Amino acid sequence: MWGLGVLKGFGITIKNMFRPVITVQYPEQRLPIPERARWAVHAVFNEDGTPKCTACLICVKECPDHVLRVESSTRPEGGKHIDTYVYELGACMMCGLCVTACPYDAIEMSHEYELATRDHSDLTRMLLFDVDAASPRRTPREDAAPAPTGTEAADA
Amino acid sequence: MNIAIEILVRFLAMVALLLVNGVVLIYMLRKVLGHLHLRIGPNRVGPFGLLQTTNDVIKLLTKEDLRPAAADAWLFNIAPFLVFVPSFMAYIPLVFGPELAVTRLDTGILVIFAVLSLVPIGIMMAGWASNSKWSLIGGMRAAGQQIAYEIPLLLSVLGPVMMAGSMDPSAIVAAQSGTWFGFIPRWFVLPQIIGFVVYAISAQAETQQTPFDMSEAESELITGFANEYGGMRFGFLYLAEFSNMFIVAAVGTMLFFGGWQLPWIETPGWAAPFVFILKTYIGIFTMMWARGSLPRFRVDQMLAFCWKRLIPISLTWVVVWACIQRLAFEAAIR
Repeated sequence: MWGLGVLKGFGITIKNMFRPVITVQYPEQRLPIPERARWAVHAVFNEDGTPKCTACLICVKECPDHVLRVESSTRPEGGKHIDTYVYELGACMMCGLCVTACPYDAIEMSHEYELATRDHSDLTRMLLFDVDAASPRRTPREDAAPAPTGTEAADA
Repeated sequence: MNIAIEILVRFLAMVALLLVNGVVLIYMLRKVLGHLHLRIGPNRVGPFGLLQTTNDVIKLLTKEDLRPAAADAWLFNIAPFLVFVPSFMAYIPLVFGPELAVTRLDTGILVIFAVLSLVPIGIMMAGWASNSKWSLIGGMRAAGQQIAYEIPLLLSVLGPVMMAGSMDPSAIVAAQSGTWFGFIPRWFVLPQIIGFVVYAISAQAETQQTPFDMSEAESELITGFANEYGGMRFGFLYLAEFSNMFIVAAVGTMLFFGGWQLPWIETPGWAAPFVFILKTYIGIFTMMWARGSLPRFRVDQMLAFCWKRLIPISLTWVVVWACIQRLAFEAAIR
């Protein structure tokens, strides 16, 4: 019948009056964010506090926005030393390619999403500063699995 | 009592009613629309956000009074008052109780609609004087819409006027006392249901509320004729809108729902204004409900709906009702 849809719409809105609101009042109430949400990049550390980063620079090469910068030097006794690992948060688009590319899981996409700052300089972050880089030989890749068997390869 | 003091008191009561209504209705609109859409509405300023409109008024009062350089200064300055004064004048004939009205007018209903028909002039003036194409389109749309919808509005009012045999609001309200067959309240909405539907739709259009708010269609015209206004000039335009809303709801209450009278029982004198205000606010809630439920028409659909549907329906109804009443009258005197 002509006009029935209008009445149906009125019914829906008056029902809404008695339903609980869906508004989340953000600073006081927060929804849990999804597990795989991608926000600011953080460095990952071992349990003893040393960084997992080996200064291999794969993340730096991979980054489409050039927001990562690693300055490293060689130690006299061998191995690398990270002078600075700089992250330009303001230019990052949270694509997660650096994390995907990292062979040692030394960086991660964190759940830190309240990224507004009062000062422009706070957008440049020092992820690592003046620490010895991990040696790939000492800390092998954690998920380095044995060579795939025939069935696994078929699954893939 | 000194006549001057009495006039002053009546005038101030009218102003107070208008301003309080404006503040309450703006808060109510935002809360009702919020909950219709599963939102909360204002809730930060004061308990339940009650002080939000007060803050808005203070903001509007203290804002800089800007005028576009290319605007027509004289028209631009006077237009908000031309919109505001008619809606202010329309409070005069409203009857809030057996003895409670600013003044008793024998042609009260006619006066209300006569002064409200001046509103489009002010709106067009505002749109033209702003010297902005969006304002001009908004003002033209508003004028076209209001002039078109005034016709079914007035025709739908004729039914209750014929039934009461008077244009005096207090006589119309008095004619609705008592019951039909002992249990149906003698409200004119029952025999005049077609007239009431036409009245409700035209009132919604006349106050420029959403399904019919093309004149301020914010997605295409920003805010239409009010576009270049700021500060208290905008405040007056906004206040007039809410005051018109109260007036059409109050007139609807008087014409179709028995005014200040409770159904079935005798209304005590002190309760009359509260009953009247309560009925009016139920009417306003219904208008807000429509506002929160329906999407906006296109401007040509809106005008076609008025000229091709509402006006023929209301004209036919006026003729049909006149015949019914005449025949019933002749049957009664025989």
